[in-house]
Amino acid sequence: MKESLMDVICCPLDKGELELDIDERDDEEILEGTLTCTECGETYPIEDGIPNLLPPDMREDEEAAA
Amino acid sequence: MTGLDREQPDVYRPAEDSGLLADAAIEVAHGRVLEVGTGSGWVAERIAEERGLRVVGSDRNPHAAAEARDRGVDGVVADLVAPFRDDAFDTVCFNPPYLPTDPENEWDDWMEHALSGGETGRAVIEPFVAEVGRVLAPGGVVLLLVSSLTGYDAVIDLIEGAGFDHEVVREESFPFESLSVLALRQ
Repeated sequence: MKESLMDVICCPLDKGELELDIDERDDEEILEGTLTCTECGETYPIEDGIPNLLPPDMREDEEAAA
Repeated sequence: MTGLDREQPDVYRPAEDSGLLADAAIEVAHGRVLEVGTGSGWVAERIAEERGLRVVGSDRNPHAAAEARDRGVDGVVADLVAPFRDDAFDTVCFNPPYLPTDPENEWDDWMEHALSGGETGRAVIEPFVAEVGRVLAPGGVVLLLVSSLTGYDAVIDLIEGAGFDHEVVREESFPFESLSVLALRQ
């Protein structure tokens, strides 16, 4: 994901601000990392350049289905 | 609607409805753009290329978000507009899953999520219309594709109930359905 995406995303649960931790990036994009809600502390993964901002219950349903 | 493809069975393929939404969006879109349920990312890519706008493409399906990213769209895995900030977008486009589906016959895979609108056809449209106003900036527009299969009048009731005015920007008839793209404004 491009870092500018931070301007439009928030925590899906409480709309809190997200804090970005970068594990891997290239010139243009963040490839791996974590987004953490500064209000509730919930974390959201960035994998293969894509943030997964599903609420945790939906994310777990889908992981179980996969 | 014929969005099936043997090579990529997990992601909805662009079809007539996609083309109609893309044409409307190329005409109307402005500012910062979100396409909800972006699927393959084809509509989002056309808006980005033909209008030079920055487009975010969100989808519940991670395979879809990945394909949209491959097309140069900002891909996000999301439930409708839940993880987007208040007033974040000037244009929001959505070709929702709208086929009325018998709950006994739901097939529970990614293609079902892409097509099925539950028993009424409006199971995804209802929460979208209720929530989209929050992420829309002042002066913003929502472009929503509506099929006659979904109950046109019932969708208009939802739109009016959420406090939007609406205007038809594209319309096309097919043997089994007519499709409209509505512009919603607050």
